[in-house]
Amino acid sequence: MTSFPLNPVPASLPGNAATGGAMTNYTALYESLRSRKLKPVVPKNLDILAVKLQVAAERRRVTLKDLRRRADQIVTLAPKFRNVSDAVLDQQINDIREVFVRRRQTADHIDTALAMIREVARRETGEEPFAVQLVAALAMQYGRMVEMLTGEGKTLTGSITAPLIAWQHRWLHVLTVNDYLAQRDAQSRACIFKRCGLRVGAITQETENGERFDIYARDIVYGTPKQIVADWLRDQIRLGRATTPWNARTMASLIGGEDSADKSRSIMPMVPGLHAALVDEADAVLVDEGVIPLIIARARQEDEMSQVYREAADLASKLEDTIDFAIEPVRRRATLKLRGEDRCKQLFAALADRGGSAIWRATRRGEELIRQALVARYCYIKGQQYETVDGKVVIVDEYTGRFLPDRSWEHGLHQAVEAKEGVEVTADRETLARLSFQRYFRSYPFMCGMTGTAADATGEMESTYRRPVMVIPTNRPIARKQMPTRVFRSAREKWAAIADSVADIHNQGRPILVGTRSVAASETIARMLEQRGIQHSVLNANFDKDEAEIIARAGKGGLSANVTVATNMAGRGTDIKLDDLAKSAGGLHVILTEMHSAKRIDRQFIGRAGRQGDPGSAQIFASLEDELLRKFAKWPSHIIRQRFPKSELTDIPGILKLLNWSQRRAQSHDRNNRDSVLKQDDWIDKHLPGVG
Amino acid sequence: MSERNTFSPFWHRVRALKPRLRPHVQITRQGYLGRRWYVVQDPSSNGFYRLNPVAHEMVALLDGSRTVDEAWQLGLTRHGDEALTQNDVITVLSQLYGANLLQADIAPEAEQLLSRGNDRRKKKFIGQAIGLMYFRIPLFNPNSILAAIEPVLRPLLNRFGFFAWLALVIAALVALTPHWRTLVTGFDSAIAPANWPVLLVSYVLLKLWHETGHGVICKRFGGQVPVFGAMMLVLVPSPYVDASASWSFRSKWQRMAVGAGGMMFELFVAAIAAFVWLGTKDNPGLAHQVAYNIMLTSGISTVVFNANPLMKFDGYYILSDLIEVPNLMQRSMNMLKFLCQKHIYRVENPQSPTTRPGEALILIAYGIGALIYRVVIFLSITMYILGKMFALGVFLAIWTTAMWFLLPIGQWVHWLATHQSLSHFRTRAIATSLALVAAGVLLIGVIPRPDYRRATGVVNADMQSRLFSANNGTIAKIHVANGAHVKQGDPLVTLEAPELLTSLEYAKAQLREAKLRQSQAMMQAPAAEQAAAEYANMIDKQIAYMSELVSKLVITAPHDGTAVFAEGARDIGRFISEGTPLVEVIDERTLRVAAVLPQAEADWIASMSSDKYTVEARRISIVDHVMTLTPTQLPRSASTTIPHSALTYAGGGTIENDPKAQSQQLDTVAKRPIFTAAFIPKLPKDATDEARAQALADLGPTGERIKLRFELPSKPLLAQWLDRLDKALQGRAKI
Repeated sequence: MTSFPLNPVPASLPGNAATGGAMTNYTALYESLRSRKLKPVVPKNLDILAVKLQVAAERRRVTLKDLRRRADQIVTLAPKFRNVSDAVLDQQINDIREVFVRRRQTADHIDTALAMIREVARRETGEEPFAVQLVAALAMQYGRMVEMLTGEGKTLTGSITAPLIAWQHRWLHVLTVNDYLAQRDAQSRACIFKRCGLRVGAITQETENGERFDIYARDIVYGTPKQIVADWLRDQIRLGRATTPWNARTMASLIGGEDSADKSRSIMPMVPGLHAALVDEADAVLVDEGVIPLIIARARQEDEMSQVYREAADLASKLEDTIDFAIEPVRRRATLKLRGEDRCKQLFAALADRGGSAIWRATRRGEELIRQALVARYCYIKGQQYETVDGKVVIVDEYTGRFLPDRSWEHGLHQAVEAKEGVEVTADRETLARLSFQRYFRSYPFMCGMTGTAADATGEMESTYRRPVMVIPTNRPIARKQMPTRVFRSAREKWAAIADSVADIHNQGRPILVGTRSVAASETIARMLEQRGIQHSVLNANFDKDEAEIIARAGKGGLSANVTVATNMAGRGTDIKLDDLAKSAGGLHVILTEMHSAKRIDRQFIGRAGRQGDPGSAQIFASLEDELLRKFAKWPSHIIRQRFPKSELTDIPGILKLLNWSQRRAQSHDRNNRDSVLKQDDWIDKHLPGVG
Repeated sequence: MSERNTFSPFWHRVRALKPRLRPHVQITRQGYLGRRWYVVQDPSSNGFYRLNPVAHEMVALLDGSRTVDEAWQLGLTRHGDEALTQNDVITVLSQLYGANLLQADIAPEAEQLLSRGNDRRKKKFIGQAIGLMYFRIPLFNPNSILAAIEPVLRPLLNRFGFFAWLALVIAALVALTPHWRTLVTGFDSAIAPANWPVLLVSYVLLKLWHETGHGVICKRFGGQVPVFGAMMLVLVPSPYVDASASWSFRSKWQRMAVGAGGMMFELFVAAIAAFVWLGTKDNPGLAHQVAYNIMLTSGISTVVFNANPLMKFDGYYILSDLIEVPNLMQRSMNMLKFLCQKHIYRVENPQSPTTRPGEALILIAYGIGALIYRVVIFLSITMYILGKMFALGVFLAIWTTAMWFLLPIGQWVHWLATHQSLSHFRTRAIATSLALVAAGVLLIGVIPRPDYRRATGVVNADMQSRLFSANNGTIAKIHVANGAHVKQGDPLVTLEAPELLTSLEYAKAQLREAKLRQSQAMMQAPAAEQAAAEYANMIDKQIAYMSELVSKLVITAPHDGTAVFAEGARDIGRFISEGTPLVEVIDERTLRVAAVLPQAEADWIASMSSDKYTVEARRISIVDHVMTLTPTQLPRSASTTIPHSALTYAGGGTIENDPKAQSQQLDTVAKRPIFTAAFIPKLPKDATDEARAQALADLGPTGERIKLRFELPSKPLLAQWLDRLDKALQGRAKI
């Protein structure tokens, strides 16, 4: 149960008249279809420049200096509302809200409203936003992507911004990182929103279908992007190719579904249009996840394919690397060489003779399956891209380190991996609807967001989403000490050095967080720590049940100071609270065992240390065998390996530059991928308009 | 290696559609090089799309009751490896849909339809802007006119008609052949401004007739001709018709007939005009002139534009049908692009426009030909217009450079910067391109290349005298053989002039008489003595003159050399009138090459010191013998005097005569100033006289034309080109 019924809003307010009662079917239909028609096109050629100029102009319109001045002013307004009674405050909020609903607000209105909401937050939750949080709230109110360092109170900032936006726009979607946060925030902030005359709800995995209709009708909806986009897509399937409400209702009356009691089967859309979005961890949602389209699929009936995938996996194991085929790890692609093609032909013939599937008679399709099996075999590694859980292949999210239980790779890749692992091959699924996050979020007329690492994604935020980025100064100066990056020749030497470093700092009584890039790596380091007799806990997708408990323990210092080995699961939104012992010993030390493919992810993880002015330190370890260097700096690292026959390479001049360079290459590679997803979307829209 | 992926991530968007071709769409089967193709055509909008058999089957399966997915699955089971991939299907559907040939159960949104229309209009406009030289404006629907003409001509539009036409044209050509020179010499006056109105009228009428030809033949085979319009063809307005309906004709001969129709109609008129011209040759009047103009216009426009397959006019479509390679131009360009992508950029799986090696060769050859032609036509048209109207020429040159050269370069850069197929090795691709550009710059901009200039010269001797008869007489004696070597003072010819001798004797007698009279007068009448003395004096002078003439009857060599007797002075007893050339004495030791160079192109010869360049020469009759020359006499200033008539246009040379010069000077006055310089064989200092004589003999007889090639100091090609362009502009620009 995730709905939070609130008192009905007085019906006199013009903007929210519809939400007072039940939203009419027609409004929802109209809004939903209207939003679907907004298909922003990726700018091309000179338009790119135009967009850049536009964003630059927009960036100059509201400057950090102005906002800081206004935030200070809001703070001085505080006494004015401090001693007002609740009833009077409510009345004042109601009055100013009306201004916002009519979109007649001026800068003064905004300042006053924010001061009132600040007072409400203080009264309801006991937390009073700092000036920098007010700056962030103002910036977001102007549609900025704000960068607030971790631990600066993003949750609170979000909850004072949301009412401002929700008053101006019909529906506000607040997108959080996970279901837990969505539910927690919706619940804990409901009191603030209620006093602002807004109704709030949260959509999580468990929310019943029927309930969702009601929750989406509320003014503020908390949820994860996955949930909301999936609902939006399900609506798409339900609406079919209707383009106008009239058209949709006619279609519905033909099927007889419009007024059926079970709304999920009618053509009523769940998500009534996209008006405004406030995205938490904006870079993760908009950039990292942007490349993976959300897909609603259903299992196909045909099942004879499972045998084919097993046969393909078998054939692939008979081919020799570099002689029969070449693997490109960066692009996750396999290419058959001439000899490989010959071998394939022979193998196909043999297989067809033995009574294998008829598919092997068609060379092209057969080779395609073989290439896929090769990719599954050499580019997808257990413990990195996936894990097997209960005889199933489960994808591990490369950015968050979490399991994605209900998701599968497309076009037989999932099956190929299953065949490789020897687990039961599931039926191939058939796409019903597909939408990339990039595309979805560009459909919001108003969007703002916050994250700890927006600055690194400025280019993309500004070109793809046309949202300027603003970096908000910290409330208290950062006390985290960044120790120099250490680079090793081989992974083995790196792990040993990490274990040494852990032992060393552990002895100082400081809690340690060791970040790994994959599940497999977290288990490697865990084994090494065990050998040295260092007590530690492991947080990865396999142990996600204990997450809250592990995190709660992670900040313990002193003699039994905690060592936590974690994948990126601990990277975002995790708040490690330090106890006094830990603080006095020097705070949390974060060790990053490998550089990620984006600097932002490194920064996020390192950001676990030194939160809110706490002491802390961080250090990165890297080796020439790391995935980043293997993929993006193959030759330079080869040369270094030849020229410097020693185990630690930290003092080689330029090695850090090489690391950063390959990280930049990885970032631009990922960005290209994301752009191509967008371009494909645009192409199909342009050439088959009105389809899908 | 075909890496076409069977699946498309967008399949879900089309899989459930149940599209079908629009009901009135027609499908025609055509054969191209033994392959079947299907042309899907919408007669009402003239939208076309060409499908291969597998795609055609797929489209045929889509009857409005099957979903796309079902049809695709069927295709998979039927064709195996040949079957369309999901991506292929989406492409075919989207293109059919884009050409408005497909009807689907989708409700296209108004804005998207509008934006599609806008896109199309934008594209069309850009296309027009690029081809500013070929701008089109549609005017009206010529259907009713053609419907009236076509039945009248129908009895002739068949095989019989074609052969009759062919016979007529050949007969006209045969009849014209003897008068070819007259035809060519008439050209200059025909393009003179005075003739422009006639030329323009006949041009426009002929082209109207030409387009009627296309239209009528298209209609004859059942095609519709929906548009008649005007286009700017290299700045000359010219009509056009839209005969694209012929693309759907099944027989390639019919398609070719439509393409050739215009030219056939035009040449028919030209053939008749030829006979008119021949018939009125004896009393040239207006009919004669008009007939000439018609022949000229249709002849030139047919050869340069219409029959030329390298531009997208009639000849192109005829060729395309003849060799059964559809869409020749575009696919040739794609072929060249494909080759670059494959071999220079090493793009993975570039899409070749053809799978057959034979066709690939045709495409490559055509593509290269068309590119070269494009450059040549660009240069010549621009240079021509620059000469006529400088400002317009400059504008056109800039515009065309931008559209034909800068735009492709821009597209190339854009492709490099953004194209998907390069996304994983863009750095390498950019490096390759930079290397190519650098190599190009190095090659034409930096590395000095020999700078060759050419000129034509003629052999003459510095010591060369032509001897004339001083008075009338007959040849009495020829002292030396023709071509013999003579010394200074040697007698060559002796003339016999009895009247002269008689007159001399008579004069001498008169003198004697006069002397007597004078002495008589001295004694008898001293007053008359003065007159008598004057008379005697006069007679004396006469005698002296006559004696001189008599002495000139023996013609002697003024200097050493070879005696070359004139045609009419080789027989004893032949009468020679006064002033007839008799003998030429040429001193071979002073043979040299007199060369002319247009001033506009060769100011270097006046300014550059002669040891900085070398001169190579070849006789025009013996081209494989190369001689090295050195200048003996360099020009100080330019003049319009041509040293030898063999150097003029009329004499087969390269110098344009001034047509305004007086007729007796026509051979010696150049239209534009020229430099005249003289060259002798270059020999080592210690060369023997024999070697010297041999070198001179190698030059050939006097009057022989010599091709000269000057090798100037090496310069980068770019500098050479700019220099030449600069000179050309100086010479021609009339601002």
